[in-house]
Amino acid sequence: MEGFTLFDTIVLIGYISLIAWIGSRFGKDQHNPEDYFLGGRNIPGWAIGLSVMATQASAITFIGAPGWGFEGGLERLVTFINVPLAMIVLILVLVPIFHRAGIYSIYELLERRFGPATRTLSALLFLIARGLATGVVLYAPALVLAVVTGWSVNLTIIIMATLAISYTVMGGISAVIWTDVVQMFVLWFGALLSIFFLVTSLPGGWSDVFNFGATTGMFNAIDLTLDPSVTYSLWAGLFGGFFLHVAYFGTDQSQIQRVLSSPSVLDAQRSLLIGGYLLIPQMLLFLFIGVILATYYQQHGLTPPEDLNELLPRYVVSAFPSGMAGLVIAGVFAAAMSSLDSALNSLSAVTVRDFYSRYIKPGASDAHYLKASRLATVFWGLYATLFAFFAGNLGPVIEAVNQIGSWFYGALLGTFLLAIFSHRSNARGAVAGLAAGMLAVWTVSALLDISWLYNNTVGVAVSVGVGYLVSLTAPAPSHAQLSDVMMTEAAPDMQAVLATRADNAQVIGKEARLTRRRCIGLFAWFCIMLSMLAMLQGWANG
Amino acid sequence: MAERLTLVRQINQHAAKQRLQRLGARACEPAWVSLWTVGLGRPNGRPGAWLLCTQAMRRALLLVGAELPVHNEAPDTGIQIDHALPPPTPEALARLWLWERMATPRYWRIQVLGKAPEQLWLPCWLGYTGGRQHRLLVISGLSGEPLPMLKPVILRGLQQAHNNGQGLITSEQRGNSL
Repeated sequence: MEGFTLFDTIVLIGYISLIAWIGSRFGKDQHNPEDYFLGGRNIPGWAIGLSVMATQASAITFIGAPGWGFEGGLERLVTFINVPLAMIVLILVLVPIFHRAGIYSIYELLERRFGPATRTLSALLFLIARGLATGVVLYAPALVLAVVTGWSVNLTIIIMATLAISYTVMGGISAVIWTDVVQMFVLWFGALLSIFFLVTSLPGGWSDVFNFGATTGMFNAIDLTLDPSVTYSLWAGLFGGFFLHVAYFGTDQSQIQRVLSSPSVLDAQRSLLIGGYLLIPQMLLFLFIGVILATYYQQHGLTPPEDLNELLPRYVVSAFPSGMAGLVIAGVFAAAMSSLDSALNSLSAVTVRDFYSRYIKPGASDAHYLKASRLATVFWGLYATLFAFFAGNLGPVIEAVNQIGSWFYGALLGTFLLAIFSHRSNARGAVAGLAAGMLAVWTVSALLDISWLYNNTVGVAVSVGVGYLVSLTAPAPSHAQLSDVMMTEAAPDMQAVLATRADNAQVIGKEARLTRRRCIGLFAWFCIMLSMLAMLQGWANG
Repeated sequence: MAERLTLVRQINQHAAKQRLQRLGARACEPAWVSLWTVGLGRPNGRPGAWLLCTQAMRRALLLVGAELPVHNEAPDTGIQIDHALPPPTPEALARLWLWERMATPRYWRIQVLGKAPEQLWLPCWLGYTGGRQHRLLVISGLSGEPLPMLKPVILRGLQQAHNNGQGLITSEQRGNSL
């Protein structure tokens, strides 16, 4: 075991300094103001998509997923198997409506549709949920630092929080898409290198891994049990995880903000497509590392650390050549900073736009709001820090983030679905549905033994059902309130106008629609992934 | 009122047809929308981008470039949509830009430059989808990007033109009325 050498430390510092330099070079000191705007436009769509992925989950995936794989093999992949289907719903339903409405924060749509109470309540739920989840995101790199340095996790949480808050308040560097892409590749490189070193250290190589995985049932990713208490059955993944991911990617401002600021609907869709295609393979890669680590620990007779989140960082530090470990740990650091920056920024933006500028100080100057947003960043950083102290007790970090979301996001998604699909629903119904949806989730998770993946399904079903029924006790919404969610052109007089214009416009030939093609592609990808898992499981079980 | 600028249409009919076809349109036509614009840049610097909006729009469009791609000609063929709304006040523009900056922190150093807003014609292409219901698609005549946020403004304009019996009148037929 080499441990974290001086050379690793130099690489770590050098990498972070390089990323910071690139950020300041391209993010701050442009001589031409056009560069500010063109920065994101000359960059290919795949890079923007990877950057979105880097912001979403790379650091906690690196740390959390191997722990998952070590514990349960590939069974937890069903949590993510639904992502392509969730992206189809986002591409077809939510993104076009959000884009057409011209909103900055998605909770504005709820205000226009249901009134200020619904907007305020939903934005508040986002702040609470994302603030807690940010605590987990803060805990992840702190844990890596603790493993590397041998310091206590709590001390490293405080150091990381100070770094992350200062970094966000000063402007961050995550705006530079290429740095996110570099970080993404460094993490994938680290993962592949881990696989190489692990497998070559086993006497039988890959056959040891496959034999161990097959005999211990680690490749049994598809569990067809109908029992709702089975946490990772295929049905929990499909009917529970699907709503989890629609809610996570569609109603969490920190995730959707980048989509809202995309120059067009097609660009927004493209960034979601990348996630739709890559999230399952990425998760498979890191879960597989967990399986390989389990084989490694078993063959070497090692005792796993109490906190399984430490598995991969420990292995990287102990087995990688000097310098490589520093690079990979730096990649985790930089990726975590990118996620933290994005989360703290969206928290402070919602605080200022949805609360401060509306209820506390409307009509203040730009400078005042800038100051307020910085103070809000500090506040949310402290809030996340407090929660980070407890994040280690929540098990694998990646599950912790999703579980926290599942307490709130189902009801929130139900409210959005009610706003979009039920033109009879109104403010009274929306607030009642939101409250009842969350109450139902908390009651079900406290009293019933069902998979937490169903929390979102329960939240959606109850908030839509209760919301609709309660809406019947109050007048229907006005036409103006429905303007964001109804096609204006659906009105009979408008149809007549469009028919006349279309008849006199230049005819163009038919071609399969891009959006439809993209959705069919995602569905095909979902089928391919599911079939591959079924084949692997079939092989493992003889 | 000062002379209205006309942005040069950079997406020709062939390219517009291709783009609209991919979005599912079965017919297309050119259009012009009247908007107000103001420069964005560093304080005391030259503009690096332009904010385009009307009072009827909830969120502004961003046009990147030091110079507006304008020419001296009036809009050519295509329906012209102008709701004749007064220009947004400087305060309203600054606030609109504030929220854009909040949404994208990279823009923090860029401010609305102090000049009064200018009116211009933005070229667009309108696509019409068939099927059970007719739907409108709007793409930019400068970049070809879909502009769903312009739909409410354009639908209102199309309806007005239809009600006034001008729905199919081209700009040549209107002569110099604009």
